[in-house]
Amino acid sequence: MSAHKHRLENQPAFILHSYPFRETSLLLEVFSRNHGRLAMVARGARRPRSALRGLLMNFQPLELSWFGKGEVRTLHSAEWQGGQPQLQSTALLCGFYLNELLLNLMARDDPHAALFDYYLMTLQRLAHETDHAATLRCFEKHMLQELGYALLLEHEAGSDKPIEPGAHYNYVIEHGASRDVEEGLPLLGKTLLDMAADDYHDPLSAQQSKQLMRMLLNHHLAGKVLHTRELIKDLLKN
Amino acid sequence: MNTPSSLEDLIAALRCLPGVGPKSAQRMAYHLLQRDKPGALRLAHTLGHAVESIRHCAKCNNFSEEEVCVLCRSHKRDAGLLCVVEMPADLLMMEQAQCYRGMYFVLMGRLSPLDGIGARELHLERLVRRAQEQPCEVILATNFTVEGEATAHYLSTLLNAQGIKVSRIARGLPVGGELEHVDSGTLAQAVLERRVFSE
Ligand SMILES: [Zn+2]
Repeated sequence: MSAHKHRLENQPAFILHSYPFRETSLLLEVFSRNHGRLAMVARGARRPRSALRGLLMNFQPLELSWFGKGEVRTLHSAEWQGGQPQLQSTALLCGFYLNELLLNLMARDDPHAALFDYYLMTLQRLAHETDHAATLRCFEKHMLQELGYALLLEHEAGSDKPIEPGAHYNYVIEHGASRDVEEGLPLLGKTLLDMAADDYHDPLSAQQSKQLMRMLLNHHLAGKVLHTRELIKDLLKN
Repeated sequence: MNTPSSLEDLIAALRCLPGVGPKSAQRMAYHLLQRDKPGALRLAHTLGHAVESIRHCAKCNNFSEEEVCVLCRSHKRDAGLLCVVEMPADLLMMEQAQCYRGMYFVLMGRLSPLDGIGARELHLERLVRRAQEQPCEVILATNFTVEGEATAHYLSTLLNAQGIKVSRIARGLPVGGELEHVDSGTLAQAVLERRVFSE
């Protein structure tokens, strides 16, 4: 980091969300690979002929340069990196879901390079594959792991006894899977092992992993509602 | 210094305007009371009148003084086309472009899940009912932002489920636009959505 002005050049980044700010500017929530989540002002970005207008798109890999080191940085320039088709239809709603998770669970100014790379890969999967549920489960698991809330999937809680595919377990928040507890979410051992292997082909694993992830995410969200989840649910009703 | 309470009330009330913080609200209040009292009275009167007389057109949801607005009552419009836009300003642009003679529906916003604006907040069921009134093609003219795209996707799913024909306005390079000067996002999407050139 340069000693004065705190200017950073060509940092790989994504826009997670943007809000109108003042008359012609945007306030950006940025996920940068090397500096984590940052708030940034893009001055004049809402002017009709602003060069930034078509650039500051969610879900597009960018290189951003900014200065300042306070709570809100100032965007200096943005470069399009390309290679990511714009998300369409349900994949687009899934993209919003990823961003909503990150905005709610990732603290500011905390670099998570591995999570950034996984996010990039997940956007590629959303754009090119059709089983979005499996893609989302993989992302949720890796995100929790990178944020320090890793799931215990291969061993029983508090022991080194390996999970057996045919056995029944109860998964307890902040504890893990256990055979001798009453509380928690009932699951088959195979579900846990499939999740460890990022394999969601088995419909039962897909269904149980969704319930488990929902329980864990709700716990970490501590009462915050995921609007995107509601929206996707509403849409699937039709 | 003691600020009279009615002045305090005015400053507080002005802060309901978008982008107006305490400082600018104070400046506006001082200006109205000291430099432009007739303007202040006119503002108070027209604002009160507008709030009382303006409502949403029962058909297109645009601002209107009547139950059904002039555009929706016109017999010169093609009732077989229903164009969905986000804001009244978008409707005005469409009218200025003189490219469209159908009817409209103004959403008064867009789906924005990260801001907590979902299907319920936008009253999308009203649009579905409007589209079902008579056979028509619904043209989705929401913005080409991620939120506008999400809104278009949501609406197309909703309307297709009712057997209604839906189309989306096209995007690409601006008319008279040169590749050299266009932004990368627009160019990338234009290449992706290229059309077969046939005689
Ligand atoms: Zn009308």
